[in-house]
Amino acid sequence: MDLHKFHQADELGRRQFMINAARSYLGVSLAPMLGASLAGNSFGQQHTGGAKAEHVIFLNMGGGMSHLDTFDTKPKNDDVQGPVESINTSGDFQISQYLPETAKIGNHLCVINSMTSRQGAHSQGQYLLHRSYSPRGTIVHPALGAWVVRQKGRKNTTLPGFVTANTSPAVSSPGFFGAEFGGVPLGRPDEGLKNSSRPGSVSEEDFKRRLAIADALNKTFEENYKTPAVKAYDSLYEEAVKLMQSKDLQAFDINREPGKVQEAYGKNRFGQGCLLARRLVETGVRFVEVSHGGWDTHYDNFTNVENRAKTLDQAFSALVNDLETRGLLKSTLVVIATEFGRTPRIVAEHSNGRDHHPACFSAVMAGGGIAGGQKYGESDKNGARVAKDPVTIQDFNATIGYALGIDHAQVVSSPSGRPFRLGGAEADLGKPIQSIFG
Amino acid sequence: MKSQILTALLAAFSVIPASARPIKDRTDQAVLKKAAYQVDKYVAEIFRRKKLTVPKVVDDSTFLRRSFLVAAGRIPTLEEAASFLEIEDPSKREMLVDYLLKSDGYRSHMQNYVFDLLRAKDGGRNETNSYAPPYLRFIQESVGKNTPWDEFAHQLVAAKGIAWDEGNGAVGYYIRDKGMPLDNLAITMQIFTGERLECAQCHDSPTNKWERMDFFELAAFTHGQREINDGVWNKARQSYGDEDFRRSEIGRLFYWLRDNIHYGTIADQGAGRIKLPSDYQYKDGDPGEMIGGRTHFGKKIRSSDRRDSGKSRVEFANWMTSQNPNFDYVAVNRMWERVMGNPLTEPVDTYVKPEKTASPALVNYLMRLMVDLDYDLKAFQNVLFLTKTFQFAANPKAFEVGVPQAFNGRQLERMSAEQIWDSLVTLVAEHPDKLAKRKFSNHIYYNNKPVLVGEMTMSQLAQEVVAIKDPAKYREYAENLLQKIKSGSTSSSASKDMMMMASRSRPGPAKGIARASELAAPAPAGHFLREFGQSDRELIASSTKEANVAQVLEIMNGHVEKMVVSNRGASVYDALKKGTTEADKVRYIYYAVLSRPPSDQEMNMLMRDVIDGSTESYQNLVAALMQTHEFMFVQ
Repeated sequence: MDLHKFHQADELGRRQFMINAARSYLGVSLAPMLGASLAGNSFGQQHTGGAKAEHVIFLNMGGGMSHLDTFDTKPKNDDVQGPVESINTSGDFQISQYLPETAKIGNHLCVINSMTSRQGAHSQGQYLLHRSYSPRGTIVHPALGAWVVRQKGRKNTTLPGFVTANTSPAVSSPGFFGAEFGGVPLGRPDEGLKNSSRPGSVSEEDFKRRLAIADALNKTFEENYKTPAVKAYDSLYEEAVKLMQSKDLQAFDINREPGKVQEAYGKNRFGQGCLLARRLVETGVRFVEVSHGGWDTHYDNFTNVENRAKTLDQAFSALVNDLETRGLLKSTLVVIATEFGRTPRIVAEHSNGRDHHPACFSAVMAGGGIAGGQKYGESDKNGARVAKDPVTIQDFNATIGYALGIDHAQVVSSPSGRPFRLGGAEADLGKPIQSIFG
Repeated sequence: MKSQILTALLAAFSVIPASARPIKDRTDQAVLKKAAYQVDKYVAEIFRRKKLTVPKVVDDSTFLRRSFLVAAGRIPTLEEAASFLEIEDPSKREMLVDYLLKSDGYRSHMQNYVFDLLRAKDGGRNETNSYAPPYLRFIQESVGKNTPWDEFAHQLVAAKGIAWDEGNGAVGYYIRDKGMPLDNLAITMQIFTGERLECAQCHDSPTNKWERMDFFELAAFTHGQREINDGVWNKARQSYGDEDFRRSEIGRLFYWLRDNIHYGTIADQGAGRIKLPSDYQYKDGDPGEMIGGRTHFGKKIRSSDRRDSGKSRVEFANWMTSQNPNFDYVAVNRMWERVMGNPLTEPVDTYVKPEKTASPALVNYLMRLMVDLDYDLKAFQNVLFLTKTFQFAANPKAFEVGVPQAFNGRQLERMSAEQIWDSLVTLVAEHPDKLAKRKFSNHIYYNNKPVLVGEMTMSQLAQEVVAIKDPAKYREYAENLLQKIKSGSTSSSASKDMMMMASRSRPGPAKGIARASELAAPAPAGHFLREFGQSDRELIASSTKEANVAQVLEIMNGHVEKMVVSNRGASVYDALKKGTTEADKVRYIYYAVLSRPPSDQEMNMLMRDVIDGSTESYQNLVAALMQTHEFMFVQ
């Protein structure tokens, strides 16, 4: 080894180099925006009823959950209902026999059976659900979680504000808000946040040194390319280092939960994702999305819905009960949402499948100031059209904003100056359903 | 020394076999160069019209890295970089393009693209995935032999028969979307013709020209995707009548046959007519009314509403792929985006009339070229790779200059998940194009064991099973089959050696250090590839290049550290053997990671502050270089 040169090195230069690096990465100075709310004002206090929620757990039923076979059963109409029975709940409504545990927590739920949308394709439907806008070629709209982090600020400044589990990154991106507002994707809830500690093969000094070298080597490149994508990675290195040092990192580790609790949620990706969501909101994460896909039941609807519902039923009821026991349900809004429902018509030649049906479908809200035990809106006798109190996706998202005390109509401009709102475009701006709050 | 490397590089070029389809002169470099020159003329014309200067051409190292990533989906190895950078030859850029397009890296990178487009999945534990191995194999082989794009599309859309039949995996295109034939049609239209009809599936589209009737008139052509002899299985199964049947030995075999054989079959090639849905709401048709097929652009073709055609999907595939400007335009636009970074018009899968584009002359020329090259995508891309336009330097102020991004130098863009992974693999393995590939087996696997090996393949079994028309005979066949499987697994027959050779579960995707195209499609949740935005293969081309914290953690503490930096056997450390002085070692590490030599300033800083001759100091350098933006982004 040639240590000669090492000793010859300009010691002053070396020390300065490391100090610069420490300043930019190791938590000495961090961008102020990461901690504080950008909205600044206390909008929420202007409304009664809302503004009680601090966190959102967004359960995304990807593929289009059949409303008729879950939350909007039609017990008197066998033609559209098929073999599914209705059961009573502890709230003022009935739901499907596939959801027996959910029935027991009906007193906490507000079931919305008058959701309506015009997006009948998955991609566009999921985009709208997450962003209150339809996809456009010229802009990527921020996802709901990014809106919440941006408008409410972080509660725990060492953890990300927005975390997703089992979710395609395509539906949870921060759009023009930039990477610091984006969801941190967890591939598998049981693996938690992977790679969040320094590997044994790297000493702390080498770890810092590497960051410092990369930082120095990046200078020319950054001068040549001042693009948002490049800046995103800069801010994420800061974020990652801060995260590695967080004392709350263990919030990501569901293996710290007793086996019984893990089992109560269901030992599957969705169940464990819900458990992780509870741990994260408990530690101050603002918005957690957990996806549960496979609802695209064109083929053999009843077998498939029964399977999907079983997982949902166990995890969702365990989550609401757990939040309630811990006194977190008041401050945590839990929603079940999907991009559209499914046709009342049962397609016999596809082993009793159901096709896409955006005209009328269901969603659920619980906690976060919602008055439980109630139903909002109604569909017609076939579950085909909304009969009373239609709720658009924009209304639904505005209601989530309302629960958190975020003004859904406040304009945030993109870097090119175009105005955007949490509640959607001006022409179809959502209205919060204020009456469902207690 | 340098002439030696040149010889080696030339030798490397010559050992690669010529293209498998030497028809006409699609591999004739002179012809392709002439076409490239023509493309450049049209592009220059755009700049002339705007009175702007044509962008500069990139230097050798940027060209090297860009070409590798765009053509072969990975960065060059140390040797490849050194060979290219250290020879002086005016034609070396052309030679490099030729080398890359003939490499297996091209196939691998293109395969990722087609998998994404078609949402091709290996299928997980809980999914009916029995059709997937032959379907994915079909795609892999088609890309490998560079099947012309029109032929490939035709094979998918007109597919019929048994997925497991040798060479017939294309049937998987419909099986992938079983139960949702209307969505499948919307997807076909988007992928191949650049028309978005998914809204019109349910209502007249508010955002484009399509009406619901148009949608169903097109759907009529692809309607009718019944399984072969689809009633027989059911009747045979009912003959047992027993509720516990499903759990019995014969019952399990019955359901296995349904999921693994029948599920992957399509009886004919389209009814050519379809009933309007019961909620049909417009005056031009009644709910439940039978309508025939009709096309609304390209050539006009129709199918009867009176009787089933049996081959309307063939007619539809013909219509789609021949003399159809939509098909040609979308193929051109896709390839332009692939090579140049931005499509001619956004979004890439939306048809735009050539006269509405920034350069109708160029677009018309490219569409004609696509036809003249017989939809040979490799040859078409070859032309684009040979242009000056491909070599334009990225223009950081592209938005301001008033020339569409498509012609303005490649925009800076993060590598795709697959490019990053494959680049990591390149830094580990000496020959990144020669790693383990996906495997395919036509053996029958039952209860996770190969059975009847040497006696019968999946293809033979499937043919026998679907040929049975009488339920009683079906029952008899299944019971015989069960006996054969049971006796085969205990006897010491001649097939035992072959049994031993066959692995226990069905061979499929590769594991560990292999190109992304050879791993499970998509990679499992939580895999490096997924964290960097690989598509989940649910939606068309839904991969993303967005940044997130999990990626940075992977770079600092995850795969980058474990697979590459702390792996002393990784090929990047060949730099330490190759270089004799410290400066040489640094230079070779730069070749391997960033495909360029360090600048004087960088070399000074590294020599002063970083390199002390220890292995750790070189590891720190490798780790730091992989943390730079320059590594992550394609210039």
